[in-house]
Amino acid sequence: MDPMSRFSVVPSGDESPEGASRPVQLEHLLRRAATGDESAFAELYDAVSARLFGLVRRVVRDPAQSEEVTQEVFLEIWRHSARFDPSKGAALSWMLTIAHRKAVDRVRSAEAARHRDEGYGASTHDVTHDSTSEAVVERLDAERVHRALETLTQAQRQALELAYLGGYTHTEVASMLDLPLGTAKTRIRDGLIRLRDTLGVTL
Amino acid sequence: MSDDIHALSGAYAVDALDDVERARFERHLAGCTACQAEVDSLVAAATELSVLTEATPPASLRAKVLADIANIRPLPPLTVPREEPVDDVAAPTPAPEPTAATGAEPTAAGPRDDELGERRRTRSTRGLARGWRLVVAAATVAVLAIGGFTVWRQVNTDPSRAIADQVLAAGDRTSTAKRFPDGSSATVWRSESLHKAVIVTSRMAQPPNGKVYQLWLQDPTGHMASAGVMPAGPDQVVVLEGDASKATGAGITVEPPGGSGQPTSDPIALFSFA
Repeated sequence: MDPMSRFSVVPSGDESPEGASRPVQLEHLLRRAATGDESAFAELYDAVSARLFGLVRRVVRDPAQSEEVTQEVFLEIWRHSARFDPSKGAALSWMLTIAHRKAVDRVRSAEAARHRDEGYGASTHDVTHDSTSEAVVERLDAERVHRALETLTQAQRQALELAYLGGYTHTEVASMLDLPLGTAKTRIRDGLIRLRDTLGVTL
Repeated sequence: MSDDIHALSGAYAVDALDDVERARFERHLAGCTACQAEVDSLVAAATELSVLTEATPPASLRAKVLADIANIRPLPPLTVPREEPVDDVAAPTPAPEPTAATGAEPTAAGPRDDELGERRRTRSTRGLARGWRLVVAAATVAVLAIGGFTVWRQVNTDPSRAIADQVLAAGDRTSTAKRFPDGSSATVWRSESLHKAVIVTSRMAQPPNGKVYQLWLQDPTGHMASAGVMPAGPDQVVVLEGDASKATGAGITVEPPGGSGQPTSDPIALFSFA
């Protein structure tokens, strides 16, 4: 089974022209937060919390732990807001990197090993959207990413999914997929390069 | 760059390395501009996947976060200048702690809280530390006084490598990537302000026996001017000869040894700057 195919995508019309204003806006909010502006941080929270929490929840799975981790993530973003370096990538990407790292640290810690999957209920379909124009934009983004993922080989997609959304190391991924050691890291890298090139990711 | 360690860039970008591998890769990363650019771009690609996992957190979380931040002081920006990237020459050894890097942040942050800062600082300190060590062996040394601290900085003695580093770090850099069916890839980075383009290849197959890969820059009239011959080897960082600021594209052809005055075969790859 390919877990990425579980995400249903709402078909839509034309490509959205959005994107130009939002990243700049997030960077601006981050810069204001760096000066101790709490209302700017509240705005930032509203803009990105679903992205950050959703990713943490997907990796950590346990809802209570996911909340804890997300809380830590936001505190780290607040503390390090002045350290964000726009030359290395977009603000959202920076925040997601922090979220992913913390989520992965949580699932790899010994304590979490006990709890893992325990509290994970039946629902894997908690992809929720507000019925606003923002949600439409998000769906278009999701569709774009889905299309890009389809350009990966099944093997690349599987390895990338276990690593990024599963939080497993490439060695664990190799073992889970019964691959020779070293193959998984190549698949992850090749998959990411293809994803990057298809999405036209620029820094 | 070492072929083996370079291949960890993808796993690093998605946090799929164990602690030992991560430390090893980060030591390499500190001195490898090509890897840094690749990692940054792969991180950006990976984080795009999060659009597929969106989930609204409970409202109580917002209240907790906003209550917490009221009691936490944001850290000051890092004021240490970026180090000159240096070549990865030797196995890293514990090096003297550069005063400027630590002096910038006296805050005692908890280890879990400070990881990202840690990762960034690691790059920075490692680079400086390696630079410091190389100074002992290398001839060209510059002494910079920054905010009362004296920092030793190694000046890169390979001009081509220095240009490549500048292009890959330029604020106006743009990139065009090509993938080949055999899994190899090549990316051309260009900085208009620096007038230079750099090609970074990954796992390129050898050219046919007795042939070489030659690089070309295309001017607005469509004319191809030679930009030099690629050195042998699957993973290369090569500065294209000539002024790339007015070029409309770059190309790679297979040519006889030493290269040709004009392309004698169809390009195996074309990179459009448009």
